[in-house]
Amino acid sequence: MAERKVTVMSEVGLHARPAATFVQTAVQAPFDVTVAKFGVPPVSAKSILSVLALDVRQGETIVISADADGADELLDRLAAIASAP
Amino acid sequence: MTTVLAPVAGTAIGLAAVPDPVFSQAMVGPGSAIDPQREPGQAVAPISGTIVKLHAHAYIVVGEDGRGVLVHLGIDTVQLKGEGFRLLAVEGDRVRAGQPVVFWDPAAVEAGGRSPICSVVALDAAAGEVNGEVRGGVGAGDELFEWS
Repeated sequence: MAERKVTVMSEVGLHARPAATFVQTAVQAPFDVTVAKFGVPPVSAKSILSVLALDVRQGETIVISADADGADELLDRLAAIASAP
Repeated sequence: MTTVLAPVAGTAIGLAAVPDPVFSQAMVGPGSAIDPQREPGQAVAPISGTIVKLHAHAYIVVGEDGRGVLVHLGIDTVQLKGEGFRLLAVEGDRVRAGQPVVFWDPAAVEAGGRSPICSVVALDAAAGEVNGEVRGGVGAGDELFEWS
């Protein structure tokens, strides 16, 4: 299992453009990708409904995970999107 | 199939006309948009289901089939931090399609320098799944589009 732990820095949190870009990137993966925040079960990073409902605010930390060969490059891209100011 | 209702009264203009590429380029998903009447009024639930997320300026209702519809009241209205919006429901509530969720004033949003255009998005839908889109004058609770 590969994972990245990042703090969301966007003023709007993981909503609007950051959320849409995050999900559009995740859906390109041929394997499952999940995103979780503390105390909340992981949800699919490929679902805009799930990501918006997770309601990640600025300053909150999330864990993005995937269990597949080649997941590292995708997780790096997702981590960069999520941590961009 | 899901019938998605207009959450506010106004003119249905289509998602492409929204002055925010996140919505106009359907980055969040396909759907429609309404240029609202400039008078205080209620924004209603677009489908029957559970309010899984309720912000002052935006809410998501998920139906029993798991389909979620996002209503976003105005552009960049997250910056208002709820000012000018009054919640008429609580996150987690079960609502009927057409039931009031938020009371707001599109004219006040516009006076503050923001577009009050309301986006209605079928979350996780493919582009071809939204059809029968209504254009022109609509009342709150009127049919806006079909999600096949």
